[in-house]
Amino acid sequence: MNTVLRKTGLVFSLMLLAVAIGYAQFSVNGTILDEDQVPIIGANVLVKGTSLGTVSDIDGTFTLDVPGDAAVLVFSYTGYTNQEVEVTRSSGALNISMEVSSELLDEVVVVGYGSTRKEALTGSLQTLNADRIEGVPLASVEQTLQGNIAGLQSNMGNGQPGANVQIRIRGQGSISASSEPLFVIDGIPVASASLTGSAETSNPLATLNPNDIESVNVLKDASATAIYGARAANGVILITTKSGKSGKPKIRFSAQYGMNDWAVNENKRLRSLTATEYTDLYLEGELNRDRSLEDAISNFNNSFPDPISGLPAVDITPGADGQSWTLGTVRVDNRWIDELSRTGSNQDYNFNVSGGNDAVTYYASAGYFKQEAPIIYSQLDRFSARVNLGIQATERLKFTNNLTISETSQQGMNDATRWANPLYNGFLLAPVIPARDAEGLFYGDHKSFFMGGNNPIGSLSGDDDQEWNMTRIIENLSAEYKILDGLSFKSSWAFDLLNYREFYFRNSRYGDGRNTGGSGQELTRNDLNWIGTQTLTYDTRFSDNHNLNILVGYEAQKSNRRSVRAFGEEYPPNPNLRTLENAAAGDPATSSTTGFSFDSYFARVSYNYLYKYYLQASVRSDGSSRFGSNNRYGTFWSVGASWRLDQETFIQDLNFFDELKLRVSYGVTGNAGLQNFEWLPNVSFAEIDYSGSPGGAPEQIGNTDLTWEESKSFNIGVDFAVLQGRVGGTIEYFNRESDNLLLDVPVSRTTGFRSAIRNFGAMKNTGVEITLDASIIETEDFNWSVGGNITFMQNEITRLDESFRDGTHDRFLRTEGRDYNEYNVFEWAGVDPATGAPLWYTDESRSETTSSISDASQFFIGKSGTPDFFGGFNTSLGYKGFSVSANFSMSWNNWLYDGTGWVLQGDGRFTPRSQTQLVLDRWQNPGDITDVPRFQWGNRSNSNQRGSSRWIHDGTHIRLRNLTVAYNLPSDLVSKAKMSSARIYLRGVNLLTWTRDKDLYLDPEADVNGFVNAPVPNLKTLSFGIDVGF
Amino acid sequence: MNTLKFSLLCIALVFSGCGKDLLEIDPSGSLPVDGAIASIDDIESVLLGAYSQFQNSDYYGRYFILVPDVMSDDVKQNSSANRAKEWAEFSGTPLDFISEEMWTEIYEAINRLNTVINAEVDFPTPEVQAEADQLIGEALALRALAHFDVCRIYAQHYAVSSGSDPGVPIVTAFDETAEPARSSVSEVYGAVIGDLQSAISKMNDDRGSGFMSKLAAQAILARVYFYMGDYSQAEQMANTVISAGDVTLADNSSYFDAWMGTGSAPDVLFEIVMTEADNNGSDALGRMYINEGYGDYLPSDDLRLIINEADVRSQLYKPDSTLGGGDFGWDRMNKFPSTTGEDNTPVIRLSEVYLIRAESRARNGNEAGAVEDLMAIRSRAWPDAPAVTATGDALLEEIITERRIELAFEGHRLWDLMRLNRGVVRSNCTAPVCEINFPNERFVLPIPAQELDANPNMVQNNGY
Repeated sequence: MNTVLRKTGLVFSLMLLAVAIGYAQFSVNGTILDEDQVPIIGANVLVKGTSLGTVSDIDGTFTLDVPGDAAVLVFSYTGYTNQEVEVTRSSGALNISMEVSSELLDEVVVVGYGSTRKEALTGSLQTLNADRIEGVPLASVEQTLQGNIAGLQSNMGNGQPGANVQIRIRGQGSISASSEPLFVIDGIPVASASLTGSAETSNPLATLNPNDIESVNVLKDASATAIYGARAANGVILITTKSGKSGKPKIRFSAQYGMNDWAVNENKRLRSLTATEYTDLYLEGELNRDRSLEDAISNFNNSFPDPISGLPAVDITPGADGQSWTLGTVRVDNRWIDELSRTGSNQDYNFNVSGGNDAVTYYASAGYFKQEAPIIYSQLDRFSARVNLGIQATERLKFTNNLTISETSQQGMNDATRWANPLYNGFLLAPVIPARDAEGLFYGDHKSFFMGGNNPIGSLSGDDDQEWNMTRIIENLSAEYKILDGLSFKSSWAFDLLNYREFYFRNSRYGDGRNTGGSGQELTRNDLNWIGTQTLTYDTRFSDNHNLNILVGYEAQKSNRRSVRAFGEEYPPNPNLRTLENAAAGDPATSSTTGFSFDSYFARVSYNYLYKYYLQASVRSDGSSRFGSNNRYGTFWSVGASWRLDQETFIQDLNFFDELKLRVSYGVTGNAGLQNFEWLPNVSFAEIDYSGSPGGAPEQIGNTDLTWEESKSFNIGVDFAVLQGRVGGTIEYFNRESDNLLLDVPVSRTTGFRSAIRNFGAMKNTGVEITLDASIIETEDFNWSVGGNITFMQNEITRLDESFRDGTHDRFLRTEGRDYNEYNVFEWAGVDPATGAPLWYTDESRSETTSSISDASQFFIGKSGTPDFFGGFNTSLGYKGFSVSANFSMSWNNWLYDGTGWVLQGDGRFTPRSQTQLVLDRWQNPGDITDVPRFQWGNRSNSNQRGSSRWIHDGTHIRLRNLTVAYNLPSDLVSKAKMSSARIYLRGVNLLTWTRDKDLYLDPEADVNGFVNAPVPNLKTLSFGIDVGF
Repeated sequence: MNTLKFSLLCIALVFSGCGKDLLEIDPSGSLPVDGAIASIDDIESVLLGAYSQFQNSDYYGRYFILVPDVMSDDVKQNSSANRAKEWAEFSGTPLDFISEEMWTEIYEAINRLNTVINAEVDFPTPEVQAEADQLIGEALALRALAHFDVCRIYAQHYAVSSGSDPGVPIVTAFDETAEPARSSVSEVYGAVIGDLQSAISKMNDDRGSGFMSKLAAQAILARVYFYMGDYSQAEQMANTVISAGDVTLADNSSYFDAWMGTGSAPDVLFEIVMTEADNNGSDALGRMYINEGYGDYLPSDDLRLIINEADVRSQLYKPDSTLGGGDFGWDRMNKFPSTTGEDNTPVIRLSEVYLIRAESRARNGNEAGAVEDLMAIRSRAWPDAPAVTATGDALLEEIITERRIELAFEGHRLWDLMRLNRGVVRSNCTAPVCEINFPNERFVLPIPAQELDANPNMVQNNGY
């Protein structure tokens, strides 16, 4: 843009005066404004080729002495395009209008209790904007974080729609308290822990429509998080929802429909055996335990009749040698898993309108989301609506009100090694057991010879129910009053109401309800969480170049939960009668309440000199009901500093960096992720009874000194941009030392207790995060950009008096000096080719093997659930209206533990449970080289020993998490249709997965600790969508 | 002026949160330890909590009965046997969960009882004092039983070396830092006898077979003397119980019906009550045997073949064709038939007291009295049973066999073998281990690894 030069008599005369007195110097002044004519504070003004310069003040004005008679002034401000203006002595007051640059950086970022400009950050904060979140066909927003944020692991170990997502920011920070970050939605700390009363998870964040989200800011170091005090140690995730901007109404409608399947390819995933495979296995297993073939066949025929004909499920003709057989007619061949699988689907419809005027801005939306997993019955449904209002009541008084309501319904089945988990018993049920009986009902007669007697096909086809529902209302009203220029007071009141309902029904014919005439269970939880926050902010500037911002605040929060649970048994025969009123018997209903509260005082001081040197300090005092009565309040703090090197002439002289900033911070934060009354020595009267009378008993030793866990974190980082801002990135080093970790310190069991809770352990996470983004081609028609991030991280337990065994199957030995997730197990050495017996290494030297587990020992096998590094990369290509974008995530050298291997690959240990196709590789004859031992019913060889490296698999993978091909309809066409924009797209989620282990049958995306326990698989989704704007 | 008003408002809002008061939240369902036990009613509540602990499926709810039985010659494993297999096969380790859980749960019962016994509560009137004596008496008797039980399963039997083997810690008060060493078996028996005697002197009420009573405590004391080989005191104590006449033997038909129904077994002096609302469900003892449950364990032919078909007790075994014959046979043990876990677990029955007296009388030289007691049990179940003519050792064998049949699957057989210095010989055997000689280090469970890790004064059993 051309500069408009104006002459003023005064300036002219001053210049004349300067010349007259012989100085080769003149003075220039002016005002720097942004596109909306708002003054820019702190913009740089520099005489090109010199180190002379200044910055604009609070009104956007500047004055600068320029040597010589003419010069070129460079105006710069992060996020805006640099401008060069020639000035001479005759130039009048300049009126500079800066244009927003299309570069990588966003200007204003949301931080705890406020917002700031990005270049003012002293802490580590990374943002994910709406474009990465909208339209991703996943139920909750955290699922989009994986691979997009350095240092953040977002592990989805379970594909059940609406399941909880494990988030770790800069590693595991705790042993027995929570390691999850704090979630803050529009300033309100919200509940994010699973709500269920059973083993499945129900994610409260799935109640939030991701399409309403403007941005997600991930706060990583102490400088960014310490304002959240006792809840900051595991990082903070700030979610900001969309708000309206003044202007005419913008209406947007989007629709998406897609299909999904397991993310593990069909040729790798586990499958059920066929009837003939099972029958052969059955007979082999009987002969291997020295039963006669005759007995074996007779047992088979007794156990597995075809209900239609009454004949055996498979005809077996014994051979003359008593060792061989031939199979004839197959009457029942029921591949349970195939029957349980389907092509899943997802649908997402969103409508929103936003706009406003000087007094009122609004954003209103309604959305419907539905996801059906590739396992029958398993699904999630969500209706949501939101109204965000901003009201400028007077020049000084502003109100905002954000209100959202949503109804989320989930249904699905148990996971892990439970009889009701279809992806567990679907493999174990013999394929010679039919799904239906002679009357066409789902078969249940196998309950007399098959453990648990579940029929997962029938169970998931309507014979049973398992539903979870959440109704959530989040209301947030705040008023902000500008007391003086620079001084404002804000009062926010937020209510988060969450009503959770769970319903189970188990039919009376088979499965878990078979012995009780059917059973039903209802659970209702009502959470009321209120928060009041009062803050006073003061913004000032003194002695020209010193800028100061002070925040002080008080926050009170209280959360209450009331739960009611009831059970019923003995249902009438009609299968439609399922509510508890139909039950003739059952346990009495129970109810309970729990809650927690915080009483918090905080302050933050941000200072900068010349917008070049920044200092920030924050402090928060948190009191919580979760802390022991002797230790109610803790104080947390941080200091951070940053130096914008790009504002220094010696850097500018290099003519290389468009942005260069050094940040360093240190602070102490807390983790209050304790159980609500963990500290309290108490006598419980809950559900303790005898012979019809209520009783009580000491429940826990307690600890009145119990406190928060403490995290001391140091962070140093560099943000940079080069090549006209087309390449930018961040490199950071962090050292996060967690101390006073909660540990259940074992006590002698003769005390009547197992452990006493103590603040005891310490752990350390150190790492390097690198984020790079580059815009490779940028032309009017064609652009191509790439980006990526990688995190190298190490975890170490730094204080633990005594090692202890932990984790399902005791696969961990938590030990000082070791990685938290390092496996300590029996080391599998394969199968003895001569005998088919399992082998283990006797010790760490791996020099000797044994077929007797009692001669083997557990040791650290050098594999861990923690990856060596993880991250993601993305690229996007645009040509005219077309665009292609792809996101990959990866994880390197993390090892998975298959929690069901010991049963699904039990080598006959559990008669007569079927197995998966992996058993087809079993040892059968001397000389066979294989990894699957001899199959024998009632196998006692311990080959399926829990806690063996036989179940540990390489989880190294790269996954194409998101691939979107989109087309923006040409604007002339769009405007003809009276629309402002229209876009169609095809989107794939988890379309491709590369694993280093070519035979991996598990989904490589597991829980943070590597555990895979027969969950609903992660989903591979392909969807088509359309977005239109009016 | 505006500024001032707003500043005042700020201050008001800051303090509206009420600061520290906001942090006072009480849990539901429990009370802080301080002040939780302040009256006789509180004592009764905590005593009920202690009884409730005896229901635990790792104690009288299942494993404390099941494990010694699967270690004996009365039980064989079904092909699906899983949960207690290590003990049936004598291959358990200190890391095994049953060893850990049983130890932990029994000591938790002891701690609950100590909470009752040591409660500092004033009893204002003689009536309340009498009530308190009854409750504390029950607690003392239960504490004796718990110590006796944990010693039986974790320490060598008294008979092995007259109680000089390492026993278990005797815990009479809560101390969260305690790291007690093992007392000897005879010291534990001494403490058990002491608690029982003071319980007997305190109790004056009988609250039904689901609660400890003077009679039940005397019966248990008879068993303790009997295990110690003190047959004269055993006989004397058994005599006291039988002659009190408060409980009498069930007749033939009510005997069988009592086993078949839910609730009480016949002849019970003390039992652990399971109700419809309060039971172990799928973790019940009976469900380890019945087809509708886990069905992991079966009666061995060694036991089945000594029960006469005319004996009503042979009907406590139920045919099941799905077992398919062979080593697994054709029938299942059905003494605890409830599919929903609503069978009470008998702790001590009058028939055992008769058999204690029978054997004690025989050993004390009163063979006629011994035969009388033996026949009281045998002909009740088998009215046409031939008269017993055996004398001396042969008579003792008859009594021991009767004891095996009558008390089968109630967790007695292993202790009887130990008491009689006999090994386990399984002729109908589905386990890899079929013969275990006496004495053997493997006849006791290992002290759990978790206890050894937390308690430096604890010493592991030999052989583990």
